[in-house]
Amino acid sequence: MATFATNGQLTTLPGLLTTPYQLSTRRKYPAPSSSQELRYNAPPASPRFPSLKYCYTSPNRNTEPSSKDHLLKALGKSLVFGSISSIFSGGGGGGGGHGDGGVWRDLFSLATPVAAADEKHSPDWDSHGLPANIAVQLNKLSRFKKYKISDVLFFDRRSKTTASAEDSFSEMVPIHPGEAYTKAQLQKELKALASSGMFEKVDLLGNTKPDGTLGLTISFVESMWKSAERFRCINVGLLTQPKPIATDADMTDREMIEHLRSQEKEYKRMIGKARPCILPGQVQREVMLMLKDQGKLSARLLRRLGDRVEKWYHDNGYGFARVVNFGNLNSKELVCEVVEGDITRVVIQFRDKLGNVVEGNTQLPVIHREIPKQLRPGHVHNMNAANQALNNINSLKVFSSVEINPRADEKNEGGVVVEINLREADQKSAEVTTEWSIVPGPGGAPSLESFQPGGSVSLEHKNIKGLNRSLMGSLATSNLLSPEDDLGFNLEYVHPYLDGVYSPRNRVFKTSAFNSRKLSSVFTGGPGFEDVVPPMLVDRAGLKANITESFTRQSKSTYGLVLEEITTRDRNFEISTNGLRLLPSGGTSVDGPSTTLSGTGIDRVAFLQANVTRDNTKFVNGAIVGDRSVFQVDQGLGIGSKFPVFNRHQLSLTKFIQLKRVKEGKSKPQPPVLVLHGRYGGCVGDLPSYEAFSIGGPHSVRGYSMGELGAARNILELSAEIRVPVKNTHVYAFAEHGNDLGSSKDVKGNPTEAYRRMGHGSSYGVGVKLGQVRAEYAVDHNRGTGAFFLRFGERY
Amino acid sequence: MAALQMSREWIGIQQFPPATQSKLLEILGKFKEEDVSSLTVLVMGKGGVGKSSTVNSVTGEKAAAVSTFQSEGLRPSLVSRSRSGFTLNIIDTPGLIEGGYVNDQAVNLIKGFLLNKTIDVLLYVDRLDVYRVDDLDKQVVTAITDAFGKEIWRKSALVLSHAQFSPPDGLNYDLFVSRRSDALLKLIRASAQLKKQDIQDSSIPVILVENSGRCHKNDSDEKILPDGTSWIPNLYKTITEISFNGNKSIHVDKKLVEGPNPNARGKRLIPLIFAFQYLLVMKPLVKAIKSDVSRESKPSWEMRDSGSANRRS
Repeated sequence: MATFATNGQLTTLPGLLTTPYQLSTRRKYPAPSSSQELRYNAPPASPRFPSLKYCYTSPNRNTEPSSKDHLLKALGKSLVFGSISSIFSGGGGGGGGHGDGGVWRDLFSLATPVAAADEKHSPDWDSHGLPANIAVQLNKLSRFKKYKISDVLFFDRRSKTTASAEDSFSEMVPIHPGEAYTKAQLQKELKALASSGMFEKVDLLGNTKPDGTLGLTISFVESMWKSAERFRCINVGLLTQPKPIATDADMTDREMIEHLRSQEKEYKRMIGKARPCILPGQVQREVMLMLKDQGKLSARLLRRLGDRVEKWYHDNGYGFARVVNFGNLNSKELVCEVVEGDITRVVIQFRDKLGNVVEGNTQLPVIHREIPKQLRPGHVHNMNAANQALNNINSLKVFSSVEINPRADEKNEGGVVVEINLREADQKSAEVTTEWSIVPGPGGAPSLESFQPGGSVSLEHKNIKGLNRSLMGSLATSNLLSPEDDLGFNLEYVHPYLDGVYSPRNRVFKTSAFNSRKLSSVFTGGPGFEDVVPPMLVDRAGLKANITESFTRQSKSTYGLVLEEITTRDRNFEISTNGLRLLPSGGTSVDGPSTTLSGTGIDRVAFLQANVTRDNTKFVNGAIVGDRSVFQVDQGLGIGSKFPVFNRHQLSLTKFIQLKRVKEGKSKPQPPVLVLHGRYGGCVGDLPSYEAFSIGGPHSVRGYSMGELGAARNILELSAEIRVPVKNTHVYAFAEHGNDLGSSKDVKGNPTEAYRRMGHGSSYGVGVKLGQVRAEYAVDHNRGTGAFFLRFGERY
Repeated sequence: MAALQMSREWIGIQQFPPATQSKLLEILGKFKEEDVSSLTVLVMGKGGVGKSSTVNSVTGEKAAAVSTFQSEGLRPSLVSRSRSGFTLNIIDTPGLIEGGYVNDQAVNLIKGFLLNKTIDVLLYVDRLDVYRVDDLDKQVVTAITDAFGKEIWRKSALVLSHAQFSPPDGLNYDLFVSRRSDALLKLIRASAQLKKQDIQDSSIPVILVENSGRCHKNDSDEKILPDGTSWIPNLYKTITEISFNGNKSIHVDKKLVEGPNPNARGKRLIPLIFAFQYLLVMKPLVKAIKSDVSRESKPSWEMRDSGSANRRS
């Protein structure tokens, strides 16, 4: 009996959003200077301090239009969108550059573009007022003039060459040709360069140009150190930096040596205390190789090493990691000091619609348990961990917007504060949906009359007591014109954190009152007998209470109690005690197999239900790969009509075998997959016909209609499918078999034989997957005829 | 026996010609000798083969309603007659076929009707003047076997009605009868899954019957077959032989009526099955899930950073 219905329903997809990841210059990183050290300076063009923000905003489901985001409105009812809010660091960082002073006021501030920006707004400049093409010392320049710089050249005095572009010294000097600078500014830049540790000697020369502008030549002798044999990377993130003692010009040589020695000791102690970096050995070895290739350690080499180390961090999601210093120069072991970005605090804040911090309803432990360990204080901030936290928190379905916003810790140099901003969704919501469904009209094909308007009303009270408990009620009918025919209701209460919110165990208690109406696939005719067997409806109404323990996102175990009342009805909704058959004379025979255990058409039963699902499947470029095993048992307790005692069980095993290794990644092709599936179902004890296992149908043996092959006490289904990727989707071929194992006669009244069914059958066919739709041609092996089918969703 | 109370005096016996009467009384005497006070005969077959007419013929009364052109409902009827302390019960059944299939309800009704009765003799009735044996015959025989067990065929006779029939194209009458009966017997043996040995032990006797009023009669006014035998006493004789053939009568009890109850099978093992499922399916599955969790390949960032506390080396 092929009923198929399409729903033209608008759904609100809680899809995954791309996480906006933003970097902007925010803070400078200070480091002590020492004669032994090289302060490492990142190119100003690249972000010095990233500000990361992860947001997750789910479409607001409120009925209240005012609460909807304007974007939402614009995009219509059902769209997924990501909100990107950026943090403008403004001039904060740059402004600080002036105030910091002291040691900090070094190359870092020099490299900050904002620092130079102060003067940018003055377009005016003064001519140098000197004859053209003469070299001018920096100190010969006038203090009162603004010089326009036409070009900047770097001259390596050692090799007597102009530094090539790839050395990118220019990145270090924020003097841009075409702009005007005062003498003081230029002096400042020079001083910064000199103190950067990269140069043994550095000089700035002006070159007067005929047009009144000034060309700059920075001549330098690069610092060189003895080559190191070993490389060590340490995290200096939260270490208290040793205070450099200002060297006194009046110090005697001895005092000077003493001073250096004490500094060296201090430094040794510091790196001894420092934690090793998370930099993997492979990268460390790579850096070692870079060291070995070059005989001597030049400043430029150090720069490259630093770049390499930082690149690894940034590629792996450690957005806050910086190489701040190279220490232990001129010794055997080169020490690379990294501030990795240790998390010092995690702050959870609730915000209202206007962004004000408010007191939240949700209890904090509920959120805490969703934060991965790696995003807690003491760990290095990682974007992936933040993303996972974002997804986890969002999957609570309690918040309409989730933002994770890591920022530098003002109180703790090198620390990162993870700020989690949450906007709680409305606790109470109501929803009304309507839909059209197509039901087969007379003759099977849908006609105009067979379009039915349906609808549902649902009410929800979420996040009760801030512990994500929820109460849901819904009322649905597929035919609004006569809802009494088919009224479904469901009232559900969900109580998570059964073992307490602090327990790592994830058990959820759920209880529900429900009803459902289904067309029985037991009372259906075999080939040539389809029109003789009128449909039988099985109504179920009852209560259910169960506990679900989730081990992973997919694997779980459930056990609980079910109380049900089952009523079997004919198509006029009259209670039916026996299967029906239309007689050739036009009458209806009511001598079929009895529909219920009690024989009255109404059964009441209580039983235990347990289910264990082990699901290792994962997606490889969109193709599902892995194993899935499901075992379910219904254990009758002798409570109910005729005191039913039974053990009804089914085991289904599905294997998705990847046949070829493929590279994983977006828009990479899917691997070919072989699917093997087996299902066994059996029952010992009292078996009413509505619980018999039916064979045939899109989820049993394709190519047959639901129950076309029979209804039995024990069944075995075997199927295999091979999927071959074609472009973005796949085509497949399958073969399936279903068998009643001779147990049809063990169902009271033998519905398989009473309705002339085979009890077993095979089919094979081919198909193509088009989005959610499977279009397939299946050959029914019993008759040898094929048919074309369109199915929604997956077979396995 | 409930049927006893309902039994009426067998008046019809007086309708028979004296020769037949004396033969019948002789047979009844045999029963008395063996101390058997009642005999139950079940008459089954397809519709319209002459079951009810046969019942009427052998009782000498219009005990069963005969309707020539239509079946007379689904209920079986009991004709019970007693004569000098001996009761003869004949159970007439409706035709089992309806719309090309065996009517399961009719079979069930017959079974229900026979509950707590003992079948001493089964008369399987079919027509002599039919040339072929088809699938319907097979279905009927199978239905009878399914309903009462194959044992019933040891207490049965094949009754061929419309015996006053001239075979076409000068075929020898005896030859035709043997061919017809052989074909049906073969079918019965196949359907009843009688082994060769069983067949040797008890071959199913064949009785020819002619219920028509135009039946030839002999000098003593007895109804006779084309070969000259008087068939009513012959039928009784065969019935008697069957009832004394040493095989057990079929007692229809509740178990036989309802068939083996599949819902009861293995019921006592359920606690054991459940324990098995819990210990050997569910527990290992949960264990497997837990080992999956521990073996799960974690993203590299999760592995790398074990926290500052652990890294302080």
